[in-house]
Amino acid sequence: MSAVTQSGLHRDTKGSKLVRYSLIGISLLFVFLMLILPLITVITEAFKQGFAVYSKAVTDDYTIKAILLTLEASFFAVAINTVFGLCAAWSLTKFKFKGKKILATLIDLPVTVSPIIAGLIFLLTFGRQSPIFPLLQDWDIKIVFAVPGIVLATIFVTFPFISRELIPVLESQGTDEEEAAALMGAKGFTIFRRITFPHIKWAFLYGVVLCAARAMGEFGAVSVISGHLRGKTNTLPLHVEILFNEFQYVPAFAVASILVMLAILILVARSVIEHKGRKK
Amino acid sequence: MYVELKHINKHFGNFKASDDVTVGIEKGKLIGLLGPSGSGKTTILRMIAGLENPDSGEIIINGKVINNVPASKRGIGFVFQSYALFRYMTVFDNIAFGLKIAKKPANEIKERVHELLELVGLSGLEKRYPSELSGGQRQRVAFARALAPNPQLLLLDEPFAAIDAKVRQELRSWLKGMIQKLGVTSIFVTHDQDEAIEVADEIIITNRGRIEQVGTPYEVYSNPKTAFTASFFGQPSIFKDYSNFRRFDILENAENAIVRPEFVKVTKKNEVQKYKSSAEEGVVEEVDFRGYGIELRVRVNGVLLTARRSFDQPRIDVGEAVDVFIYRMFVTQGDTATLLENKSLRDPVVVI
Ligand SMILES: Nc1ncnc2c1ncn2[C@@H]1O[C@H](COP(=O)(O)OP(=O)(O)OP(=O)(O)O)[C@@H](O)[C@H]1O
Ligand SMILES: [Mg+2]
Repeated sequence: MSAVTQSGLHRDTKGSKLVRYSLIGISLLFVFLMLILPLITVITEAFKQGFAVYSKAVTDDYTIKAILLTLEASFFAVAINTVFGLCAAWSLTKFKFKGKKILATLIDLPVTVSPIIAGLIFLLTFGRQSPIFPLLQDWDIKIVFAVPGIVLATIFVTFPFISRELIPVLESQGTDEEEAAALMGAKGFTIFRRITFPHIKWAFLYGVVLCAARAMGEFGAVSVISGHLRGKTNTLPLHVEILFNEFQYVPAFAVASILVMLAILILVARSVIEHKGRKK
Repeated sequence: MYVELKHINKHFGNFKASDDVTVGIEKGKLIGLLGPSGSGKTTILRMIAGLENPDSGEIIINGKVINNVPASKRGIGFVFQSYALFRYMTVFDNIAFGLKIAKKPANEIKERVHELLELVGLSGLEKRYPSELSGGQRQRVAFARALAPNPQLLLLDEPFAAIDAKVRQELRSWLKGMIQKLGVTSIFVTHDQDEAIEVADEIIITNRGRIEQVGTPYEVYSNPKTAFTASFFGQPSIFKDYSNFRRFDILENAENAIVRPEFVKVTKKNEVQKYKSSAEEGVVEEVDFRGYGIELRVRVNGVLLTARRSFDQPRIDVGEAVDVFIYRMFVTQGDTATLLENKSLRDPVVVI
C-alpha cells in the first residue's frame, strides 16, 4: 500500500516535465542575472580601453601595495584563526567544562554582527577615545588607521570559519581512536598528528579556504578602521572603492578583476578539496 | 591475585556506575564480565585500563597499586567495543603503532607485525585499510594490535558484539584458543550469557554497579547465590506465589519462585513418567519449533512455565492437558536465592 502511494507521490513531484524545466530555468536565469552578468561586466569594463590600460592599472604602485596588504591581512587571519579554530574546536568537542555553551555561541558572533560594528568596536577599543590609547602611544603602537588594525578587523570577521568546519567532524569521530593510541603510550601531540589530524585534514583545509576567501573580500570592518590611506592602509576592496569614487572606472574594474580571479582560484581550490575529502 | 579491585566506587554525576566493587583475578585466567546493559561493565574495564579514575578504592595489578599510573604506562592491551582501529592507517601500521611509539627498531617491528598477522590469520592483508575489511577481520586486527606490545593484561569490551551470529560463534572459540595459547590474563565484557558460559574460565556477574557473584560458569549457573543471578541465566519463568506447588517446602519471606526450562518435565497423559503421581495438571498454550527441539508454554496452577521436549518424543498440541513435573526451583528471599528440590525426589514414591 504505502509503496504504491510513495511511488505515486514520486511521479507527481518529479515527473511533470513542465515543473522540472521551469524550476531549472528559473535557477539558471537567476544565476545568470545575479552572478554571470556582473562578472562579465567586470571583465569587459576592465578591458574596455585595451590591454595596455588594464595592465597599467593593475601594475600601478598603489594597486600592488593594496594586493600585498590584502594578502598580508589574509595570511594573518588564516594563521591566527587556524590556531584559535583548532583550540576552540578541540576543547568544545573533547572536554567538558563550565561555559562551554557560551563559548560555542560566542564563536559565531562575528558572522551575526554587522562588519561595520566590528570595525567600530576596534576603533573605540584602540582609538583616541579609548582609555588604553595613551598606553599604546607610550609604547609607540599604532593600531587604528594602520596595518595592525586591518589585520585585527580581518581576523575578527573570519573568526568562526575554521572552528565551525572542524567541530562537526571532531564530534562525529568520538574519542575511541585517541584513547586506543593513548593506551599504547602515545603522547598528546603524537596522537594529534597521527590520529586526529588525518581525520580533520580536509575539513580543516576547507575552513582555511573559506577563511581566506572571506578575508580577501572583507570591506565593511576594514573600511571603518583603515582610514583609507592610499599605499598604506588600503586593501584591494578599499582600493576599488576609492578608484570608483574618483570616477576612474577602468582602473576600478581592472583592480576588481583581480579580486574576481582570486575568488575563482579559491572556488577551484574548494572543489578540489571537497572532491578529495569525499573520496576519503 | 594478579588483578585486584578493592572497594571501588565511581559516580557519573549522581549516577553510581560502580558500587563498592571488590574482586580478584588470577594470573593467566580468561574472565567474563557479564551483566545487563548499563550494569557498569565497561566502567570497570575502563578504570582498570586507566581511561577513568575511580572516586575511591584501589586498583592493584601484580601487587602494585596503580591508581596513579597513567593509562599509557600501565602496559594493558585494550580491544574496544567499536574496535577503534586507526582508519587512516593500514593494517600493518595499526598493529605497528604501539611498537613504533615504544621506539622499537624497524626490522623488529616488521617481524613482530608479520608474526601477529600470521597468528590471527590475516597474512597478506597488511596493506589494506580498516574500511576494506570485514567485521570479523577488523576484530582480529584490533586483537593483534592490542597484543603487539606484549601486554600482561588484555581487556576486551564486547569483542563480538558487532559481528553476525555465525561468525561470532567461530570467533569465540578462536579467541578462547588464542588466549589459552598465549597465556595472557584477559577480561572480556559481554551481556550474552551463552558467550560468557562458553568462553570464560570464570564469570563475574555485575548488576546495577555491584558485583553479584563470581565463579566458574558451572557454579554461577547451577548454584546462584543472589536473586539476580538466579533470574539472569537460562529462560526463567518467575512468579510470586508457589504455595500451590505442594511438593516444595515453604520458605519464610519468600519473594519469587524461579523455574528454568530444564527444571520442568512435560509428559502426555498416556506417557510413562516416573513421578507421575506427584506431577501437576497443566494446559499447553504454545508450541514453538526451535532448532534444538520443541519449546512449550504450559499453564500450571495459574503460572505460565517454559519447558522443552525433543523431536523424538510424541507430539503435543496446543490446548492439550498434560502432566507437568517440576524437579527444582529457586526461591528468593530479599537478595539471596535458595535451591529447593521437589520432595518426591527424596521420598520413596510409588510408581504406577
Ligand atoms: N561518561 C559517562 N557519563 C555519564 N554516565 C555514564 C558515563 N559512562 C557510563 N555512564 C553510565 O554508567 C552506567 C554504566 O555504564 P557502562 O558503560 O559501564 O555499562 P555497561 O555495563 O558497559 O553497559 P553496556 O552493556 O550497555 O555496554 C550507565 O548507566 C551509563 O549511562
Ligand atoms: Mg559497555
